[in-house]
Amino acid sequence: MNIALQTEYYTETKCIWCDGCGNYGIWTAVKYALVELNLHPWQVCLCYDVGCHGNGSDKIEGYRFHGLHGRVIPFAAGAKLANMKVPVIAFGGDGATFSEGIGHLIHGVRSNYPITFVLHNNTNYGLTTGQASSLTPQGQPMNTSPNGIPEHTLASMDLIFSLNPSFVARGFSGDIKLMTRILKAAIQHRGFAFVEMLQACPTYNHFATHEYLLDRYFDANADGHDPCDLQQARALATNVHDRIACGILYQREDIPHFHDRLVPRQGIETTCVEEVRRYDVSECWKELV
Amino acid sequence: MPRISLKIVGASGQGINSIGAIIAKGLKRSGYCVFGYREYPSLIKGGHASYQLDVSNERICSTETKVNVLVALNHHGLELNMDELKQGGIVLHVTPGWQFPEHHQKLIAERSLRVIYFPVDDILNRLSAREILSNVLLTAFVWSMLDQDMDALKSLVGEKFAKKKALLDLNMRCIEEGYSFVDPEQGTISVALPPPDGAFASHLLITGSQAMGLGSVHAGVRLYAGYPMTPSSPLLSFIAELENKTHMVVKQAEDEITAAQIVSGAMYMGTRALTATSGVGFDLMSETLSLNAMIENPTVFVLAQRPGPATGLPTWTAQGGLLQAANCSAGEFTRCVIAVSSSQDAFDLMPVAFNLAEQYQISVVVLTDKQIAEALYTQHPYDLEKADIDRGRLVVDPEKLKALKSSDRFNPHAEGGVSLRWLPGSDAATYCAQADEHNAMGAVDESCFNTKLQMEKRLRKFHGLKAGLPAPRLHIGGRNTKTTDWIDTGDEIELLAIGWGSTGDVFQDVMCSDELRERKIAYLHYTYLWPLRTEELRRLAMRSKRIVLVEQNYQGQLGMLIRMECGLDIWDKILKYDGRPFFYDELLSSVMERCASTAETEQNVPDFVYAGTPS
Repeated sequence: MNIALQTEYYTETKCIWCDGCGNYGIWTAVKYALVELNLHPWQVCLCYDVGCHGNGSDKIEGYRFHGLHGRVIPFAAGAKLANMKVPVIAFGGDGATFSEGIGHLIHGVRSNYPITFVLHNNTNYGLTTGQASSLTPQGQPMNTSPNGIPEHTLASMDLIFSLNPSFVARGFSGDIKLMTRILKAAIQHRGFAFVEMLQACPTYNHFATHEYLLDRYFDANADGHDPCDLQQARALATNVHDRIACGILYQREDIPHFHDRLVPRQGIETTCVEEVRRYDVSECWKELV
Repeated sequence: MPRISLKIVGASGQGINSIGAIIAKGLKRSGYCVFGYREYPSLIKGGHASYQLDVSNERICSTETKVNVLVALNHHGLELNMDELKQGGIVLHVTPGWQFPEHHQKLIAERSLRVIYFPVDDILNRLSAREILSNVLLTAFVWSMLDQDMDALKSLVGEKFAKKKALLDLNMRCIEEGYSFVDPEQGTISVALPPPDGAFASHLLITGSQAMGLGSVHAGVRLYAGYPMTPSSPLLSFIAELENKTHMVVKQAEDEITAAQIVSGAMYMGTRALTATSGVGFDLMSETLSLNAMIENPTVFVLAQRPGPATGLPTWTAQGGLLQAANCSAGEFTRCVIAVSSSQDAFDLMPVAFNLAEQYQISVVVLTDKQIAEALYTQHPYDLEKADIDRGRLVVDPEKLKALKSSDRFNPHAEGGVSLRWLPGSDAATYCAQADEHNAMGAVDESCFNTKLQMEKRLRKFHGLKAGLPAPRLHIGGRNTKTTDWIDTGDEIELLAIGWGSTGDVFQDVMCSDELRERKIAYLHYTYLWPLRTEELRRLAMRSKRIVLVEQNYQGQLGMLIRMECGLDIWDKILKYDGRPFFYDELLSSVMERCASTAETEQNVPDFVYAGTPS
């Protein structure tokens, strides 16, 4: 660990999350991963959606963005496509990502944008005081649903795997070493890296608590899981009743990302940011004369 | 100004556009100014569509409701469009054995129309050519009616089929056949065009969308994200067509929200990026407009107007989006709304829009409409030297970057509210582009002191922006004059008209008409619509006998903004909200009515009455 680099990420802004919130662990692991990859704050772009995790946008250094509910993936994708040299990491909660922004998630995975997406999954809308998200178990009483939610719980990992992802991982906010390993691999991954972080919400989530997750999670890679095995990865990701498989569940490095697939960008070494200048367009109007 | 109009009508998919485009290009190369106007329903095949060319040897940029030549590719045209023919007009059709109903026979006699049946199927059979070549046959015949050189048409068509020898030969034979056809009843027919002006030969034939696309590329736009919606789609298509030449990133997004967010992310990172949409698509983008205001992220949105509410008339035109552009979205913030009016400023204003966005770190909404987006203009090649790329207070120098503090980014005391901006990836202190209310470095700060300070910072930009925007353009009797030179001198203005967007070109054609050429009519054209400058208008209004607002919406939206800003109530309005643009002859008669009544007023009321009272 590069301690000098670690201090570059310190801020004066105080953390305001609840005691026991999983965000502390994820926040710590993100900083560790960036430091271990030897990235200075000025070299990275961190994009936050709206929610409790988003309140971390001013508790870390780096070029950061804190935007609108559900929209972080397209913003982050646009940022990345403009400058392929800057690693872009987007963060979103389960509320935003699987409701308001679910279209963006689907097309983000499908497009295989070269960004990392970290899902803060505390299985509810924390910042709006504990409403059910689409990942909250059906029947669970929540704020605005005192009789339990009538809808099916969305099978999030089935959805992700149906989209031919190129990277799927799962971490647990109580295991910083595991999260750090996953995040480093995700940031270095070629295409869209989907990273789910299971986390406690001590105030509103009384079903999947820190202890609940602690009892069930395990590092599947340590158990010998091969991330190349799609069938096994999907089974591990979706079967969470008894034990919850964490680690790098699935990874394909041979799939070109969105920018790689853009024919006009082949062989171009510069970034869109570097290319801003006045262009002579007379070549483009020749056919109009 | 001599004008000839030619209208091709038929079902969508029958090839009216290809006939129109070839004749337009041929005439332009022969030295004519051509203005093309398309009407079509929102469907792919069938329906009743048209492509009209208005032709002159002087600059022309409007459409007449009456035509000299009607080319009907099916019998619906013969049923629906006969009334549009001028005295002595020509009807060219392909429907065998067509019997005109009695009222049309009467019309043919009254207006001395000449009707030509062109036996397209017989000729196709003779040449063993497929039906698709009927358009070439017809084009060639129209070409001969216009007394144009056959070889010019051959070389034009030849450009398309240069690599397909067999197809090329067949096309050339069709041109010869069509060109040499003589109607047995009417004999040789000729449509007299005025003498050509060779200067037009080197001009471009370009749509407003293409002009805007070229202007965007010229302005340094490197990423385009869009979601298809007429009439913004032609811009997306054109940018995509150019992508292998421009090497731009082009993304067809999953919705308008995504397009707006991608573009915002790209601008935050520091490139120039663009999106365009229409009506309800812009509604979806409006939350992103608000976001960019808070994070002070320069962005440019093109709003291509069509009639609403809702999906409205997808393929028709309107100017109903002004108040939407000026007022939509949450919170109070500084924005800029500008409107293009022709193929010239659709190009010129794109660098301007990006410069304004970056100078003030605000969103700029560029209004266009279906008429501009799809009309075909004869355009002088663009001046590629006049635009600057001004990136405002962007810091890129490594030494200066090193000296930055995080709190410089949203420094509330920055001059004019515009603080320093630097880009992710720069070796410098970092900051957060924070959508929550924030302090100078972008950390959340909800204190009353900070909230007030940051609100004032963002809104302070409005004053600098407003003071720096160019004055509205004044046109007098067809002569373009610098507003400042003219505003306080000269005689009383007989009629002062105020408009914006695609209205401007038509009004200028009207002022150039023989009927109005020498009249003291002034037209004040607003390109910069928000913030709205009213001082020139107020001074001109003092000297005008009559003021009229000319807009393509129901409420007179520019008039509402004018009244809001300076209290001037323009009660006389020429408004159009039927999905069609202003037509030349229609607007001319509206203006002439007002000129006539101004004269009456003068006789009856010796003391001159102001049309509006500035506050």
